[in-house]
Amino acid sequence: MSNAPHILVIDDEPQIQRAIKTILTEKGFKVTTASSGEQGLTLAAANEPDIVILDLGLPDMDGVDVCMRLREWTQCPIIILSVRDSEHDKVTALDKGADDYLTKPFGIEELLARVRVALRHSAGRLGTQSKIIHAGSLMIDLAWHIVKRGDEEIKLTATEYKLLAYLAANHGRVLTHQSILTNVWDAADADHTEYLRVYMRQLRKKLETDPERPQYILTEPGIGYRFIADE
Amino acid sequence: MNFTAMWSSNLILRSSRYLLALGFIALVTAFLFTLREVLNTALVALLYLIPLGLITAFWGLGPGLTSAFLTFLTFNYFFIQPYYRFTVHRPTDVVILVIFLIVAIVISQLVGRMQSSLAAATAREREATQLYELSTALAGLHDRHTIAEILAKQVQDISHGEAVELNITGMDAFDFRMPELDQPTRPPEWVIPIQVARGVLGEIRLWRAGPALTSSEKRLLQTFASQGALALERARLAQAESRARVLEESDHLKSVLLSSVSHELRTPLSTIKAAASSLRSDDVHWDSAARPELIAAIDDEADHLNMLVGNLLDMSRIESGALKPKRDWNILSEIVSSVLVRMKHLAVEHRVEVDMPESLPLVPVDFVQMEQVFTNLVSNSVKYAPEKTVIRISAFVEGETIHVIVRNQGPQVPQEHLEKIFDKFFRITAADRVTGTGLGLSICKGIIEAHGGRLWAENVTDGLAFNFTLPLIWEGVSSPKLPMDTETE
Repeated sequence: MSNAPHILVIDDEPQIQRAIKTILTEKGFKVTTASSGEQGLTLAAANEPDIVILDLGLPDMDGVDVCMRLREWTQCPIIILSVRDSEHDKVTALDKGADDYLTKPFGIEELLARVRVALRHSAGRLGTQSKIIHAGSLMIDLAWHIVKRGDEEIKLTATEYKLLAYLAANHGRVLTHQSILTNVWDAADADHTEYLRVYMRQLRKKLETDPERPQYILTEPGIGYRFIADE
Repeated sequence: MNFTAMWSSNLILRSSRYLLALGFIALVTAFLFTLREVLNTALVALLYLIPLGLITAFWGLGPGLTSAFLTFLTFNYFFIQPYYRFTVHRPTDVVILVIFLIVAIVISQLVGRMQSSLAAATAREREATQLYELSTALAGLHDRHTIAEILAKQVQDISHGEAVELNITGMDAFDFRMPELDQPTRPPEWVIPIQVARGVLGEIRLWRAGPALTSSEKRLLQTFASQGALALERARLAQAESRARVLEESDHLKSVLLSSVSHELRTPLSTIKAAASSLRSDDVHWDSAARPELIAAIDDEADHLNMLVGNLLDMSRIESGALKPKRDWNILSEIVSSVLVRMKHLAVEHRVEVDMPESLPLVPVDFVQMEQVFTNLVSNSVKYAPEKTVIRISAFVEGETIHVIVRNQGPQVPQEHLEKIFDKFFRITAADRVTGTGLGLSICKGIIEAHGGRLWAENVTDGLAFNFTLPLIWEGVSSPKLPMDTETE
């Protein structure tokens, strides 16, 4: 299986390494493990993995630094592993180039879902990304700027559409407040999360069947938002 | 008071006593002189003793003795023949004269000594009173600054000094000055160390022009200093004791917490261990119906364990004051819906209704922390309220705060427990009947209070309602008004 995607796991805890390696190997991935930041960087440079799974709490260096060093030369997806209660670290890592995060302890289904999203997006960078996104009864046509629920077209304001388009284009990935604000508004508005909150409410009211229990646009507490589309 | 003035007035007072004594003797001599022909010499001698006694009693030993010698001379001169000479002819007169002198001196001495011992007794009593006043004023004081203030005041009162300064050394050294301004620039005339057995606590510096301190004043000041030292030492010990008590209490709490925590941690661990080991053994067959159940138990209990550890971490953050909300302008209903999405598997047996008007302003809160508050309040309601009942979350603006109510149709809480349910590990039902950490509500309280709000519970007609308020003003700013676009694509 030489075509199997290669995953590099950088985590200093042997139990976690063992569990991830066992399961991912079982699922048909090729897995390499590293137990320190330096070792991880060396292995990443040598093997050019398709995905890096990176723990933030490493013995020799900060996971965020590893993330930045990787981003100097590779665009391969990075999934952050971290313990609960470090929203700030997660946001920093995401803003410094990580693609997604998982909170420890995590279910293996979640990990696999994130890996799949990451692989799809890295394929998307090569230009095979679909321009039409389906999510339940929703259809978003990014090329023609059309949003439909069933056969009925949903009218969105310019900002609402920009916001939805950014979320949908990155469906499955977590997007930090800052990245949404800089991409949909502009860098000067990066601190105005209240804009985001209010527009998000409007958007959900138009898109979600039950805006109180949203199923398409999920809030990632303290981090940002994630758009859930059909696989 | 200016001491020099006092001292010179004292001198005038003293010399005036002699003059008064002399005047009195002159008056008595003049009176007796008019009666010279009818009185015999012995009677005159006796009559002379009366003013002598009075003079010593009123004006002291000096004027008394001086008067004694003076009357000896006037007696001889005016009343013993031959008159107007200091010579004596009759041998009996010589005897009278000698006896008179002796008696006069003895009386003066006796009366004088009585007087001065009375004065000493009065002085001693005054000292004792001052000392008593000082020790009553200092008794029960545990604040070192107040002690210093009282000590300085009393020292100034008794010494009539111009200025008093207290230098308290040690861990938190400070100075106390009286008067605060206009301190003399010269070195103090008198420095008394404040000393206890374990060392010097500081010193009293006293500025006083005029005569040096008398030995009794010095003695009194020394006593004052040692009284002050005792009070300061007592204050230090009291402080140390209360610190020790606080530590002991927190130590006790920690051990209660630890034993409770280890119990709470072991419960899910035992389930996991039992399920995992039976899956590993040959007891559970591959296609046994028990398999998925055991696996689900492991998964659920792992989540439970994770929640427990999270709660413990939060609690320790709240207690150490490290829980600082990272505030942002948020929409409360978004926080609630995020909670409901996450809890959809837990709250299946209850209907959760949200009543939050869209007109509600943005609230300055930490999203993650408030999410936890709602999670804990809702899961508490889920735990205690019977299935198929309604949990209702509503909010309204009340002046400059927002008032949120999470209301369930569960059992009411006895009035006396309404506050206690927010205590750590407080449970109305036995711990083994309800799963949880016993920390959820106290974490909520900690978070709400860190936001400057208030959380309480009250019984309502058909159940229990958790209420909390949150300020809408953040750093002096109220909810932002937002630019809206309504134009569609």
